Amino acid sequence: MLRQIVISCILAAVARPISARTRPHYGGTLRVEVEGDPWQRPGGLARRMVLHGLTAIGLDGTARPALAVEWKSENNDHRWQFQLRPGVHFHDGTSLNSTNVVASLTAICGADCPWTAVHAVGTSVVFTCDSPMPNLPALLGGDEYRIALTSAANPGSPPGSIGTGPFEFTGLSNGVLTLSANDSSWQGRPFLDVLEIHTHRSIRDQFLDISGGRTDLVEVPSEQLRQAREQRLTVVASPPVSLLALTISDSGSLANLNLRASIALAVDRGALFNVIFQKQGEITASLLPAEITGYSFLFTADRDLNKAHELRGGVTPPGLTIAAEGGPTMQLSAQRIALNLRDAGFNVQVATGVPQHIDLTLRLLRLESNQPQPGMESILRAAGLAIPVQGQTPAALYTVERQILFSHMLIPLLYLPRAFAISGRVRDLRLGPDGTPELARVSLEDAP
Amino acid sequence: MTPMKLLWLLLIVASAPMVPPACAASGPWEQPSAALAEQIAGILGPGQAHLILRNNSKIPAGEIPAITHSLEEALKAHGVQLSGAESANTIRITLSGNLRERLWVAEIAEGSETHVAMVHVDIPDARPSITLNQMVLRKERLFASPSDHPILAANQSDSSIVILYPDKLVTYALDPAGPREQNRLTISSRRSRTRDPRGILLGDEKGGNTIAIVPGVQCTGADTVPADPGPEHPVPGSHCQDSDDPWPILSPDSTNGSPKLKAFYNAARNYFTGVITPNLDVDLPPFYSAALIPRADGAGLLINGIDGKVQLAESRALKPIAGTRDWGSDFASLHSGCGTGTQIVVSGSGEALTDSLRAYEIPAQEAIPASTPLAMDGTVTALWTAPDGKSILAAIRRSASQGQVDSYEVDRVTANCN
Repeated sequence: MLRQIVISCILAAVARPISARTRPHYGGTLRVEVEGDPWQRPGGLARRMVLHGLTAIGLDGTARPALAVEWKSENNDHRWQFQLRPGVHFHDGTSLNSTNVVASLTAICGADCPWTAVHAVGTSVVFTCDSPMPNLPALLGGDEYRIALTSAANPGSPPGSIGTGPFEFTGLSNGVLTLSANDSSWQGRPFLDVLEIHTHRSIRDQFLDISGGRTDLVEVPSEQLRQAREQRLTVVASPPVSLLALTISDSGSLANLNLRASIALAVDRGALFNVIFQKQGEITASLLPAEITGYSFLFTADRDLNKAHELRGGVTPPGLTIAAEGGPTMQLSAQRIALNLRDAGFNVQVATGVPQHIDLTLRLLRLESNQPQPGMESILRAAGLAIPVQGQTPAALYTVERQILFSHMLIPLLYLPRAFAISGRVRDLRLGPDGTPELARVSLEDAP
Repeated sequence: MTPMKLLWLLLIVASAPMVPPACAASGPWEQPSAALAEQIAGILGPGQAHLILRNNSKIPAGEIPAITHSLEEALKAHGVQLSGAESANTIRITLSGNLRERLWVAEIAEGSETHVAMVHVDIPDARPSITLNQMVLRKERLFASPSDHPILAANQSDSSIVILYPDKLVTYALDPAGPREQNRLTISSRRSRTRDPRGILLGDEKGGNTIAIVPGVQCTGADTVPADPGPEHPVPGSHCQDSDDPWPILSPDSTNGSPKLKAFYNAARNYFTGVITPNLDVDLPPFYSAALIPRADGAGLLINGIDGKVQLAESRALKPIAGTRDWGSDFASLHSGCGTGTQIVVSGSGEALTDSLRAYEIPAQEAIPASTPLAMDGTVTALWTAPDGKSILAAIRRSASQGQVDSYEVDRVTANCN
């Protein structure tokens, strides 16, 4: 009898049509966990989903129409005019117009904007710049300059959270940010109904939750990519998009160019790559990944202690302080770099607490475009060096980069990928050129 | 440099003089070699130098001897004599590349000074291959879109092709040099766009006009194209209007002698609601695709539900079809004349970067493969039967590889009976 039941079940299973993959389904809630603030700039998921820029960075790294449908430059890139997309509304129903775009941009950067002035002219927004800004369209596609309504706010919503994006803010409770699909999004309603972002979750908790089926998308730091794969998590990883770099002050004893060059030669990138970052990404001494320029090998990444000693010329500068921006892995990396520098005769301490003066800072800089010029500008901007990059050919770009790196104030160390682990429900997840998940095109396998 | 790398470089350099002249026809490498040699000579001037070449690119190893030879010849032509490692000058050439281009980089070391020269090298297109087997599906590219706008549908005539995009209907002349836009009709909709846009194109009953339907809008465009009105001048008689009418879901050829079936489309989503007219006396679930297939007692309506189940509506009943595990969301009927005469051509997984099409026959309640899968060059986003019924047209999205944007094309798929 039991045998007959088993056979019947097998036959029924064979005869039953099995569901095939189909077009993306609408509906459902995607549960996401992040370690940081989802509104942070750059790369905050909520910011990316709620707000649009005048332009957007396409997968090819070029600026593409977003809230602006077209743009043109005049006067050798000193003046730019962006024509706004008609018929776009903010989530509260307010029409997008040039006045509220200008207000938003002014609120973002005030007197420190990279342009000299921005004006509303009819249905256009006009930027004027003292120096040429050939990459302004790409700059406006970055996270920094996304457009939010400044004249109104939802009660209880974070400032600047009313945008035109595919999702709109609907609530924040116990660290869970809820975003709902914007039915009238000019790009089309997203497939998901709700995006639930659990904020400030430790990486350890994120791993536990994705393994236990309690969430759908979590962050995987580069140094834990191998572990995630060993745990058989489904991992989506970007090309290298985050530059681990050391910024060096040019004040005090480090005003000496040779000392800064000596520090650059003393850092052991191989140890960082092999030990701390578990051989993920790539070692670099260049501002951009090899696949973007094709010439990064021209900047040597080898450690040369002899040359470092030689450049120091017997000078032992007073004690230096190194700090790291970020969590434990960055702290660990800073400690290792401090050891490297001691090998070269420097007296370096890792900063704890809030030190008075920092000589060296270890930072993770986000590459926002995979186009060479805007990509390099984004790295320089993130490092606090607002230098327009105007080289159009690889040779010209190399010359610019060489000049920047020759100052030894910014030492590229590693290029790292961004990665995420996803549950089996998630379909069609793609990462943008800066490695941020494009959640507006994600759908759920089990959506109703 | 590791000993292995050094050995490899030495092997490359040492192998260069062994290349016979016949093999050294430089072809595509001649121009970049000459350009780089000119830059090197400009830095180094006439004299001796030691040449080292390394390949950091995807250029096949078999091409390296030809490139080496080409570079040597170009350097000699510019007065640079190549010598051994004892030379005071070294030219280290790296065949490199980035997402967009190949890049050849020369590091010219004169004593303690190093100069850099670069040239970019055009990357030739790779040709797709075609699968051959028994009942064979073949594909032919009809149109490659000059933009990254999704193609929803297309109609081809002798010398032109009408392409339906989400926001416009464009007629292109198929010139030997490539498609040339003849006219366009802008489709304005008060509705929001969807992220999985769909639409259909069909000829009207009087002939001569193309009817385009996208969610919430129906447009009529005259097929008679003026000599060259230019893109700014839409064809007279073309117009669009808001419409929630049901969409014709059967391809034109299959409407002969069959009831004209129309289905209501959910304009806010990407599927048909399941309500069709005239009523078939059977409740249909929401579905993505439908096709009429011949049955012993007439015809049956095959539908692909949004739950992924493929079912056949016939004799006032809805019957599940087995053997559809690998089916995607799109299918269309093909009157190939092979086998039973009519097959269903089905897309594969909707997510795969390189989709496939495969023909099936459904003699009973199981789909039987009638061809081997035909690999497509991207994801099939729409599939419909051509007006003659003897071929299938497919809209293909070629997903962006890193550093590129999505691109769209229209392929015609036909069957050969063996």
